Amino acid sequence: MEHVAGYIGNFTATIRKKARYVDPEMCNSCGECAKICPVAKPDEYQMGLSTRKAVYIPYPQAVPCSYILNMDDCLGNNPIACGKCAEVCEKECINYDDQDEVITREVGSVIVAIGLDVYDPTEMDEYGYTRFDNVITSMEFERLICAGGPTGGHFVRPSDQQRPKRIGFIQCVGSRNPEIGRPYCSNICCMNTIKDSLLLADHYPDVECTVYYQDIRAFGKSFEDMFQRSKEAGTRYVRGLPGDIAEDPETSNLTLVAENTTSGKLERREFDLVVLSVGVVPAKDMAKISSLLTLSKTSDGFFMESHPKLKPVDAPTRGVFFAGFCEAPKDIKDSVCQAGAAASRAGALLNAGKIQIEAITSMIDAEACTKCGLCAPVCPYGAIKWQKGEVAVVIEAACAGCGNCGAACKSDAITMRHFTDAQYMAQIHAILAEDSRDKVFVFACNWCSYSGADMAGISRMQYPASNRVVRTMCSARVSEEMVLEAFRCGAPVVLVSGCHYADCHYISANRQTVKRQQRLWNKLEKAGVRPERLQLEWISAAEGRKFAKVMEQMEELRRTVTEEEIKHAMKALAPKPEKPKKEKEPAAVAD
Amino acid sequence: MAKTETFKCMMCGHEYQEPVEPGEDKERSCPKCRSNSIRHLKSRPLEGSADGG
Repeated sequence: MEHVAGYIGNFTATIRKKARYVDPEMCNSCGECAKICPVAKPDEYQMGLSTRKAVYIPYPQAVPCSYILNMDDCLGNNPIACGKCAEVCEKECINYDDQDEVITREVGSVIVAIGLDVYDPTEMDEYGYTRFDNVITSMEFERLICAGGPTGGHFVRPSDQQRPKRIGFIQCVGSRNPEIGRPYCSNICCMNTIKDSLLLADHYPDVECTVYYQDIRAFGKSFEDMFQRSKEAGTRYVRGLPGDIAEDPETSNLTLVAENTTSGKLERREFDLVVLSVGVVPAKDMAKISSLLTLSKTSDGFFMESHPKLKPVDAPTRGVFFAGFCEAPKDIKDSVCQAGAAASRAGALLNAGKIQIEAITSMIDAEACTKCGLCAPVCPYGAIKWQKGEVAVVIEAACAGCGNCGAACKSDAITMRHFTDAQYMAQIHAILAEDSRDKVFVFACNWCSYSGADMAGISRMQYPASNRVVRTMCSARVSEEMVLEAFRCGAPVVLVSGCHYADCHYISANRQTVKRQQRLWNKLEKAGVRPERLQLEWISAAEGRKFAKVMEQMEELRRTVTEEEIKHAMKALAPKPEKPKKEKEPAAVAD
Repeated sequence: MAKTETFKCMMCGHEYQEPVEPGEDKERSCPKCRSNSIRHLKSRPLEGSADGG
């Protein structure tokens, strides 16, 4: 995917179809080309444990089952250099001049299913992955034990090609480890190791397996049963992770020392082979896809869904759906379920032929629009079409109603349906009409901060009663004018609060909140108003305690604001009277 | 290349310096009081200390 333009129901996708250099229609997979190819490269499918040729079938189940030529590895068709595969191909299906093809498709919806990458344990040097031959990853183990693997299913260890008798598995390598920036559980590793232990017990009953773990997370259907079967089959589970691996240089055997936290004893064990049960990481293409489809990511780096409970397969960008690992680590069953759900959601959308747009969208008054274009770049959904010298236009089907454009518009040309500027101004005036000095004025975003306030309330948390909360759909809806108006009306303290970065319900709208806040602090300082009177906080729906704590801090701050400061702000921030425009003299009318 | 920038917490007044990567998208909070009211002081020198806190 090179480019995606448009919006729900009307996407235009530009796809680059890479050149195969072998005609898949003609190729009958005879393999003569691969036999004669002189190039040998590490086979990616076999995790580099064996080699492949420059012309090869990527993996046995590939569809179409025809050869491809990797031009980066190929010596070329220069007869002096090589050209041997083309010579032996009787069907003449090799074409060195094949070119990438760029295809354009009109699509109504997009399903993102870009999968995952596996954690590279090189950085965890204590496990010696790059130093010891007999330390392998769980992916390499899969290839070694597989009948279609590099050893043809003969299970041997890398150092001496002998069958290992004592195998140690180390769990959570690259998972649940905040120190290396991977605090999340990879979800699949525990069950994968349990499966491997059962596989070993079945094929090689004399092999002793020991699993070092933090917690075994066997929470799916029949998973606990599998775990029990693994233990019954003789696999030893030690609760505790080894801190180090040492190798015997003569035998290449590995010694692990770990504290068994169940018994409280330090255990030293020798193994023939150690398998690092590596976690999963977001696919390397996430950033590109994220930018193409304006998707946001969670703090773990996976794509964020529109709503974790109500829209778990929908992206915040309408018409885009997720399936599999790109949204969060999950096993095959959950991935298949999500793929089915994503296909259903996309199918329902296409079958309906029409969509119901959000009630809260922005509206542009073409007459008031000054064609400045400030609104277009701040829209996280790309829902505003604007070209230099032209009036901006809202694509209502793509608009999610964050109100960011309304806050950015300097000419009051944008109105947010149901959350208009006039309504907000009326709320500000009404709240601060009486005893404004005693109030903390709070703008809270609908999805997180306002819910955080609710959480504080339903949890019966105590906090000062001085706050007055005004709900906005997004913190980015709060315009500079709204904050200044609150100060003009005598607010001692104004707090703007919204979702945490990773939780923003409008992709990345709250980044504009930060930019506006910076400008406002500068403006306040310039006007001689203490900038500390304007505060910013990210409060999630679950952070009722944080909401209560912030309210206490705001109340403390309010008490420090003097009557003089409030009066000065009201005066200093008052809008300057507009200079009367010089009336143009009427042009002389010719008789 | 990362540039060292100066920030000020608008809640507790703590000023500190932090390396900022170009195009960095990071939620900021005060290292002292955890408040999110973090003002970017651009290239303004740090008050009181040479290396920040």
